[in-house]
Amino acid sequence: MEIKVLGISGSPHRHGNTETLLDSFLDGAHASGATIEKVVLKTLQYSPCRGCNACHKTGECVVNDDAIFLYEKILASDCLSVASPIYTMGITAELKGFIDRQQYIWARKFILKTLYFSDDHIKRHKGIFISTAGLGWENVFDGAFPVITALFNTTGFEYYDNVIANDMDRFGGIRNHPTALKDAFDKGMEIVAILEKLKTGS
Amino acid sequence: MPIKILAFAGSPRRHGNSEILLDWVLASMSEDRDIRMEKVVLTEADINPCRGCNACEALNKCIQRDGMDIYHDKIIEADCIVLSSPIYCMGLAAQVKALVDRAQVFRSRKYVLKLPVVPPERKGKRLGVFLSTAGQKWNYVFDAAIPSVKCFYHVIDIRDADIRYLMINGVDEKGAIEHHPTAQADAANLGKETVHELKKRLGL
Repeated sequence: MEIKVLGISGSPHRHGNTETLLDSFLDGAHASGATIEKVVLKTLQYSPCRGCNACHKTGECVVNDDAIFLYEKILASDCLSVASPIYTMGITAELKGFIDRQQYIWARKFILKTLYFSDDHIKRHKGIFISTAGLGWENVFDGAFPVITALFNTTGFEYYDNVIANDMDRFGGIRNHPTALKDAFDKGMEIVAILEKLKTGS
Repeated sequence: MPIKILAFAGSPRRHGNSEILLDWVLASMSEDRDIRMEKVVLTEADINPCRGCNACEALNKCIQRDGMDIYHDKIIEADCIVLSSPIYCMGLAAQVKALVDRAQVFRSRKYVLKLPVVPPERKGKRLGVFLSTAGQKWNYVFDAAIPSVKCFYHVIDIRDADIRYLMINGVDEKGAIEHHPTAQADAANLGKETVHELKKRLGL
């Protein structure tokens, strides 16, 4: 059974701490036999949500750009891993711009009621949040979690776990962190094993 | 000496709930003849997201040339900075997050280069006002936005205790805030109180 793992990198900084952590997670998923794909938001063309609410009537976004193409990919994935560094106590503006565009899917679910994810569907679709922060504060990710929860809830993924590492400024980067990269790799392996089990029903 | 108010309307939807709330506060402020204000509509302000390059830690300026060139200076010159944002997906609208993240240059100036953001005689005299609206009724709907807002004000030398908040939940459709029982009066009071406090601090 093919397990599709999609990784979205929301960092404007290519191959930095967060993308490296995401790569490690995807490597783990690949080592477990999953089909992996990574999309880097900064290479896409999309605009933030305009707040026009046209989707509340039609279930479609009036802006047809790469955000729509990526939401189609998300809805076809078994695992969604979404990665962002923490900037100013939240996710990056790039990722927030993309997440705000989910409004048309939200409208299908809650206004038009043309889309429904069963409990069983949600159980078989796992979401992972991957993040790094320069600061060592324990609460540094707190502003990001509710936004990521909103993304997973709207797109039908169970918020399975976080792969997060703070204090990057002190460690001098993710490669100097004692456990983060291995933890990410292991989490990738773990999630594919679980999804396979759920798919085969064994 | 006029009191300078710089206001950012963060919603991509023009004249929606968060902008109406902002307009109420600004109207109340402008009743005082010492007030000079500028309202900036963020979707028209050409502010790109932060690139995370950290160049500002060495250069003390951003390497991007866009609308922020102007607003960087205006943020320093203002006595009061008003920020309004709707809540989208439990957080600040992406356009507002872009502005907030671009304040990184102030953070680098303050914490890395240890240089002043405002001249010493203006420190502790500035105020911030955060205005927000949310469609959801949940009382925790603003919680994830606030840490980013606090960071934004900290790095531009506006202390925690000097930030005022007016956040109205349960207003979704355009103009719904007009029917809110207290929002307009609260906005008017907030505007008045903020001007009063600014005048006190500036010795006017």
